[in-house]
Amino acid sequence: MALADFLKELDALAASATAAFQASSDPSALEAARIEYVGAKQGRLKAVQKNMGQVDPADRPLAGKRLNEVKAEIERAMVMATERLTAGKGAAGPVKPFDPTLPGRPVRLGRLHPITQTIDELIAIMGRLGFSVADGPEIEDEWHNFEALNIPLEHPARDPLDNFYLSVAGRGRTAMLLRSQTSTVQIRVMERTPPPVRIITLGRVYRPDTADATHYPMFHQMEGLLVDRRVTMADLKSVLRMFATSYLGSEVRIRFRPSFFPFTEPSVEVDYHWNDQWIEFGGAGMVDPNVLRAVGYDPEDVTGFAFGLGVERLCMRRHHITDIREFYRNDIRFLHQF
Amino acid sequence: MKVSWNWLHEYVPLAMTVAELEHRLAMAGLNHESTQRIGGDVAVDLEITSNRPDCLGHVGVAREISVLWDRPLSVPEPVLPTTGPDITRLTKVSIRCPELCYRYTARVIRGVKIGPSPAWLRDRLTSIGIAVINNVVDVSNYVMMECGQPLHVFDLALLKGPEIIVREAFEAEQFEAIDHRVYPLRPGMCVIADAQRAVALGGVMGGRDSEVSDGTTDLLIESAEFAPLSIRTTARTLGLHSPSSYRFERGVDPVGVDWASRRCCQLILELAGGTPAAGAWDVGRPVTERSPITLRLSQLPRILGVDVPAAEVIKILTALGSRPVENGPDRIVVVPPSWRRDLTREIDLVEEVARIRGYDKIPEAVSVPMAPSHQRDEDRVLKKVRQVLTATGFDEAMTASAVPPAWNQACSPWTNAAPLTCDTPMLKDADALRVSLVPSLLEARRLNESVGNRTIELFEAAHVYLPIDAPLPREQWTLAATTGDDFPLLMGVVESLIESLHIREPLIMAAASLPLLDGQRQCCLQLGDRTLGYVGEVSSEGLKQCGLRAAATVMELDLSVLAAHATLIPWYQELSPYPAIARDINLIVDESVQWSGMQRTIRQAAGPLLESLQFHEVYRDPKKDGPGRKRLLFSINLRSAERTLTNEQADQIRQAIVDACQARHRAELLA
Repeated sequence: MALADFLKELDALAASATAAFQASSDPSALEAARIEYVGAKQGRLKAVQKNMGQVDPADRPLAGKRLNEVKAEIERAMVMATERLTAGKGAAGPVKPFDPTLPGRPVRLGRLHPITQTIDELIAIMGRLGFSVADGPEIEDEWHNFEALNIPLEHPARDPLDNFYLSVAGRGRTAMLLRSQTSTVQIRVMERTPPPVRIITLGRVYRPDTADATHYPMFHQMEGLLVDRRVTMADLKSVLRMFATSYLGSEVRIRFRPSFFPFTEPSVEVDYHWNDQWIEFGGAGMVDPNVLRAVGYDPEDVTGFAFGLGVERLCMRRHHITDIREFYRNDIRFLHQF
Repeated sequence: MKVSWNWLHEYVPLAMTVAELEHRLAMAGLNHESTQRIGGDVAVDLEITSNRPDCLGHVGVAREISVLWDRPLSVPEPVLPTTGPDITRLTKVSIRCPELCYRYTARVIRGVKIGPSPAWLRDRLTSIGIAVINNVVDVSNYVMMECGQPLHVFDLALLKGPEIIVREAFEAEQFEAIDHRVYPLRPGMCVIADAQRAVALGGVMGGRDSEVSDGTTDLLIESAEFAPLSIRTTARTLGLHSPSSYRFERGVDPVGVDWASRRCCQLILELAGGTPAAGAWDVGRPVTERSPITLRLSQLPRILGVDVPAAEVIKILTALGSRPVENGPDRIVVVPPSWRRDLTREIDLVEEVARIRGYDKIPEAVSVPMAPSHQRDEDRVLKKVRQVLTATGFDEAMTASAVPPAWNQACSPWTNAAPLTCDTPMLKDADALRVSLVPSLLEARRLNESVGNRTIELFEAAHVYLPIDAPLPREQWTLAATTGDDFPLLMGVVESLIESLHIREPLIMAAASLPLLDGQRQCCLQLGDRTLGYVGEVSSEGLKQCGLRAAATVMELDLSVLAAHATLIPWYQELSPYPAIARDINLIVDESVQWSGMQRTIRQAAGPLLESLQFHEVYRDPKKDGPGRKRLLFSINLRSAERTLTNEQADQIRQAIVDACQARHRAELLA
């Protein structure tokens, strides 16, 4: 007899014995089941056991091991059935009434903030597209927040009223401000890394805005940067289309509209097509040669693209959140919705 | 910028629908905001980016249309009669602040008759939302909306001299504008003065006592170019923004200055009569020819990822107003038009070609080379931290980086330096950059209490901003948490963090004295020689200060310290196949004995066979043990990797522990 057949026989026996014991609803039925399965003379277990002799001697240890397991299993089922039927009469006392439909014991699990959940997903998607995360300080100097990004002194973006400048005591200290965009990190990374560079940055940015349902003076941005030889706008479009398709989960079309950002040229607004309408996605463009020069790259040698988008806006659209301030009130009822 | 359909039609044939126009312009960079039907006209509101002031007039928008639809553009060429007296005999103009005003032109018309504008002019202005005043003022507004060059018309009879002096404002100079309000001026602002006083705030607004009124007969027509930065600062400082300042801030066409002046005079003569003086004042820097720009055709595929035929390139650039000076097989050299000061470099021309052709011509399915991406250690640590905190029931919060100064005063565990502040508060009263996350989390507790949420367990991972003696402050990557439960709960969370990050360095606890926390129920945590953070229960005083009703416990950790000690890739430890033996121990010690010391003794005495040490409870029974004594109940788990431990061996180790505790902590074994 082959080992496999023997084991199969054992398994079948275990299953049918367990079922029989479980099904016994009174002591006489239980006794009948006992005799049928584990009876000393005619029991089915005994019968199966006899077959062991026909198993190949080399396989016998394994067969014996399983036989013992099955014996124990059947024993357990019988003991449990006995206890079940004798409870209430024996020492165990009366059966406690039990309502299996009562709610379970609550386990409190914390939730990640919806912004974190969105950021995690963005990082995962961009990671699959070969972009690694980089970060940098939130408090910046004017070189990284403006000059290196091709935003000269006379540019309106540098207006003190449009930025959170820090009050710096003592003259001669460099001006500091809370970064108004995560592009500052691009500069820092390029300053210390030779090309190629393929990064994303996620973090807090700050712009003076009165808080209302759609504005908050602090928000999160995701910014991507790819600088290498032979990087073109077609690469930008392809990467953003792949990104949108990954994020939205089905084939998505995107389009570029011309725009103006000091740090990219050409600059575009990116829209994606979803539910029969074009939805604004963020800004993008080819890294301006002045920016490449500012970090010591040669714009004749390398080109690059950059893109940026607001995380809150993405998160709000995805979860149908209508007031950006909810993100920062941290009402548990809000946090527990995600 | 609102444009009128009928008006545009004067310069370029409009053979498309309004919707087509809106769409195509948006795809070329003039975003569509809204469209409104007004009478027999259609007003289309376009968003013009700050680099395109040439589109702040109808001619500029018409030019874009002519290029996009390949239709001819016709712009009128105003010609003035030269019969009147020479202008130099009637007035004079000088610029004393060439850095604020680059160029100033003036023309004079005498003998005009002020009256209402004709219907066509009123319609034009009304359809784009500009108020109708009188024929002369309406003409100056019309020309501004036609070409983007702001103009100002003075009543010549009200100018002292009569002369025009363009100068910097004096300190504390007062100026009454046509809006009848008095503005305090200061140096850096550009003033148009006559022989006696300021009559206009250059490029921003005219003055009240030189404005054109019904009785005016003689006019001085100003068309000038002011320094953009100065105009912006002036408008911002005084809160005085006008269509004029909006255009000067972005820069006007230097060549268009004279065109606008002539166009304005021509229309005034047509609508209000009068005689123009011969010639014009034109002072300031001369208009210089733009430098040529070279576009290497190879740059188009290099940047755009798509080839563009040379003929198409030259056609686009010419249609936009550039003058080709060289048209070679691999490069094109053009002189850009005077009104496109945003075009100075090769890359600017690349963008123009891409923009006019349409970005839909750029492929969107090229194969971008693969590249490996890696996860930073900080992100791995943060992920673990978030797992532990959420698994232990904490919700993640996000709070603002700036706080009211009082919050920083209440809790500053990481620095004694004065916190950094912003010039502008981020939120109401919040102008200080936070030095701790704890007050922000306690505020979130307060808010949750106020809306009746019962279980409030929050954590946040964010930067705190610590001033240091360096160009930039230290942004410490920090984790904070708050619970309504007590100290041991948060301590358990800290221990779970340490465990899940596989930190082997022992956690050292030291006394702490943070003012917000209960004097006794707080402690400072250290890993190695670095401060990890602190845990503590908020004192009743602190609760009051934060407006909290129920008890709260907080902790705050320097995540970089956790990260520095973390083992992100733990190594497998072989499992012992031998059974463990457990022993319970119950010792009586003085109250002053702390667990941290006992624990070290126990571990030392137990030696390498100690698999784990578990504290169970502190129990006090003054009747039996005497006052100032406590019982510490704990158990040890022993296991050997080499053999099965015998009961005798376990008892020996147990005895060694008891002896060591007796010797070092005067502990007595409870029989």
